[in-house]
Amino acid sequence: MSQAATLDVEVLERIRSLLAGGLETEVFPRADTQEMTRDIINRLAAAGDDLEAKLTISGFTLQPIEYGGLEQACETCMYYLVHRHFCELPELAVPVEPQWSCRLWRI
Amino acid sequence: MANLLWLQGGACSGNTMSFLNAEEPSACDLVTDFGVNVLWHPSLGMELGDNLKKLLRALTSGEIALDIFVFEGTVVNAPDGTGEWNRFAGRPMKDWVADLAKVASFTVAIGDCATWGGIPATAPNPSESQGLQFLKRAHGGFLGKDYKSKAGLPVINIPGCPAHPDWITQIVVAVATGRGGDLTLDEFQRPKTFFTSFTQTGCTRNMHFAYKVSATEFGQRKGCLFYDLGCRGPMTHSPCNRILWNRQSSKTRAGMPCLGCTEPEFPFFELAPGTVFKTQTVMGVPKDMPSGVDKTGYVKLTAAAKAASPRWAEEDIFVV
Repeated sequence: MSQAATLDVEVLERIRSLLAGGLETEVFPRADTQEMTRDIINRLAAAGDDLEAKLTISGFTLQPIEYGGLEQACETCMYYLVHRHFCELPELAVPVEPQWSCRLWRI
Repeated sequence: MANLLWLQGGACSGNTMSFLNAEEPSACDLVTDFGVNVLWHPSLGMELGDNLKKLLRALTSGEIALDIFVFEGTVVNAPDGTGEWNRFAGRPMKDWVADLAKVASFTVAIGDCATWGGIPATAPNPSESQGLQFLKRAHGGFLGKDYKSKAGLPVINIPGCPAHPDWITQIVVAVATGRGGDLTLDEFQRPKTFFTSFTQTGCTRNMHFAYKVSATEFGQRKGCLFYDLGCRGPMTHSPCNRILWNRQSSKTRAGMPCLGCTEPEFPFFELAPGTVFKTQTVMGVPKDMPSGVDKTGYVKLTAAAKAASPRWAEEDIFVV
């Protein structure tokens, strides 16, 4: 396993542990509009490499959120890399599982 | 010989620059091979002052035949409908346009400003700009919706910001060689030969579009620009990826989203902050879908395509 892949696994497990351990994240309101999306992304950019802050601001959950008649899961999100199991949104850039979710989901 | 007159209203000269870059055929080819007699052009014309006025009067009176009237830029009506903000050869340009359009065998609008108003007509439109026969999507414009040139055609619209050089010269050649009547125009009076397919047609990122892999930053060679960076390639009618720019490339091939500049609404969303280079979404779903696709179909297709995407789609396949 490459160094990057090892690091991805470590971060993935840390995220799982934080969320399973009760980290409260801002699941709602979802990013309904462009303005809301921009505000959340600006906050993410300001959070830098603080993983807990990034998870909180983006409203991470360990299960998909049903919203607006659609199931918002990482696996259908535009930022999700299917094979690497990774969120490619530059301000997040974290490993994720397909059934996780966040409020920046977009299809 | 076909007499061509090119005038410029509220414009940046971008379409003139584009025209002078034409290759197939070139601006010189128009003269030497296709019998186009360029009576006057803002960057090429020799006449100045009274000589130019004399030429324009000879055209409006019918003393000299005007076969092709090309207009670049908006028709400026400000202030208060007088057109005084854009004077040319002793009177408002809009008065010349009105008189010349009456005697022209063919009238051709080049670029977004002349076709539908473009950037100058963006709200609040301080120059009271109009396109020749449209204002954005509204049919009418400066010449009115019933306008027809002497050949019986409405204004031939060649939009773009700028229009591709070869779209311009190829249409001029068609008209100059007596094939103007063969041109078929779409609902916005664009030649169908150029504006039926989409910017996406021929895009090198089509595989990434199909597998729903997104580019997230400018210049990335991997990924489709539609999902995040506001690319309008799937709903814009143009041959930008069939007739390449400088015979080499296109915006999307270079990692730059299509701005939809051949459509009447350009610039989209009136250039409101946050709308340029960002896909507008409502509850995570794009506000503007690829042409002919509905939300339900889009969501289903995306889920299936993403699940089926191969590993290579996530990597840079254009290896140098």
